[in-house]
Amino acid sequence: MRHQTTHSPRQPLIPLRYALILPLLLVTAAVLLYPIFFSFWVSLHRYELTDLSNIRYIGFRHYARLPDDKSFLNALSNTLIFVVAAVGLEFTLGFVLAVLLHRQKTFRDFYRAILLTPMFITPIAVGLIFRFLLNSQLGIIPHLLGLVGIRIDFFGPNLALPSIIMIDVWQWTPFMLLLLLAGLESLPHEPFEAARIDGAGGWQIFRHLTLPLMRPVILAALVIRGLDAFKVFEYIWAITRGGPGERTEMILYHIYRVGFRFFRMGEAAAMGYVLVVVIVMLALAVFWLLDRLPVILAERRRRRIARERGV
Amino acid sequence: MESVTGRIARNLVLIVALIVVIFPYFWITLTSIKPPDLVAKPEVLFFEPVWDNWREVLFDSDVPRYMLNSIMVGTMAVLLALLVGSPAAYSFSRFRTGGAAFRIGILVAQMIPPAIMIIPIYLIMYHARLLDTIWAVIVAHLTFVLPMVTWFLIGFFDEVPVDIEEQAMVDGCTQFQAFYRVVLPIISPGLGASAIFAFVLSWNEMFYSLLLTGGDARTLPAAISGFWTFRGIELGKMSVAVMMAIVPVLIASFFIQRYMVKAMGRGAIK
Repeated sequence: MRHQTTHSPRQPLIPLRYALILPLLLVTAAVLLYPIFFSFWVSLHRYELTDLSNIRYIGFRHYARLPDDKSFLNALSNTLIFVVAAVGLEFTLGFVLAVLLHRQKTFRDFYRAILLTPMFITPIAVGLIFRFLLNSQLGIIPHLLGLVGIRIDFFGPNLALPSIIMIDVWQWTPFMLLLLLAGLESLPHEPFEAARIDGAGGWQIFRHLTLPLMRPVILAALVIRGLDAFKVFEYIWAITRGGPGERTEMILYHIYRVGFRFFRMGEAAAMGYVLVVVIVMLALAVFWLLDRLPVILAERRRRRIARERGV
Repeated sequence: MESVTGRIARNLVLIVALIVVIFPYFWITLTSIKPPDLVAKPEVLFFEPVWDNWREVLFDSDVPRYMLNSIMVGTMAVLLALLVGSPAAYSFSRFRTGGAAFRIGILVAQMIPPAIMIIPIYLIMYHARLLDTIWAVIVAHLTFVLPMVTWFLIGFFDEVPVDIEEQAMVDGCTQFQAFYRVVLPIISPGLGASAIFAFVLSWNEMFYSLLLTGGDARTLPAAISGFWTFRGIELGKMSVAVMMAIVPVLIASFFIQRYMVKAMGRGAIK
């Protein structure tokens, strides 16, 4: 900073450091901030695409109606089930694969390069591929299962949601693998050697060394993937369109239907804001759970041991 | 150290994972060259390959045009993001301009769900008469490409030693000249990696593109989402279109994985 003031022959109107950041601020204001405020404004109005001459301010009435909106609540609960199940499975599988790959010596880079590929391709392609693979008449997987006498309809009422979850697991477990493997590779060696010399077993080392040291990476992986999972849309669009019934109706698909099929923009905008509140609360809960809870539990255990010793 | 059974079990699990990942790619590749009358018969594995699907999709359909739209949208979004993002990232990296608010702002911007962005962007484009133009999609894609590019670039600027710029300024450069004549060329691999990654994000995006365009300006993902009429012949063409959307990205992925680990690791640790 000092360089700039001493070296430049005259003082510029705006200091360079701010001038460099100004274009970003202007573009952000135009493409992010303005739409966000506009969206909130829309959510407070009766704003129908088919009736644009009749836009009326109605306060928070859209929001007040949402707790009684069965379709909205159903979409929200489907989405929550989807996010928890998919992210949970992806994390577990991703961790197992990361630990295995971390130990692997031969072909490690080859395995990694191939296993990571699903996270790079467009979700709509993944949706179409699996719609084809799992289709009852044309698909290879039901055909193979049929050979051993199993007949299941992957997109029937009971299995549609689990099938969508498994498709998400196929595409996004690689993301967990990428982050967790990077985390494992950056762990320091010394504590592990020390533990081994002290005779700790594999599970003990994992539970008391690997997991605590990996906590920041685990937290980041869960939060990033969790936030992203709320955006699920393409698989639903490609395969079920929310059906059968409303079994796989997800929140973003529901907002699309209300806003762009029924043209009720105000209501759809209000749903978007409620979703943001739900997501923020969940993210804070996960942070608390993974960041504070282990500390609290450890503290409680310490006190208990101290008490028992005292007695 | 490790037992033989342990090693075998580990390799078995990895090979199964490999098959689960590769099989879908294999299957659509196979379907793209299957004769139309065999597409509906999953049990047939051996046949004389036919290239009609490829010929029709490449030379006698709108798919190449949609691909061109995708390329134009991605290129414009990435160029704009680099133009606006790189000076800002440099300023933050050197002077901590904006401090914690800047860093948090970028992270929050990356997480804003499309659920609250799509309606205002649609209405703005509707009133601006820009619906079904690539400009509508470019603006929508900037909402996630710009924060991502800026975030990546901060990391690359952080790695350039300040001495290099100070030397350049002693030699008579202004700070701004030092930035674009000295520092930018040094981080050009980083610029390239960020550009490829951001381009892939844009290339893969469907939601905004589907709702903001109706016909001419469709990008490839939005266009292939219509390829779902499940008749035999269409499935072969769908496989070709799907491959055109994913093969370029699969190739690019082998080049950007390394950088992604770094950039994401940094985001996770700080």
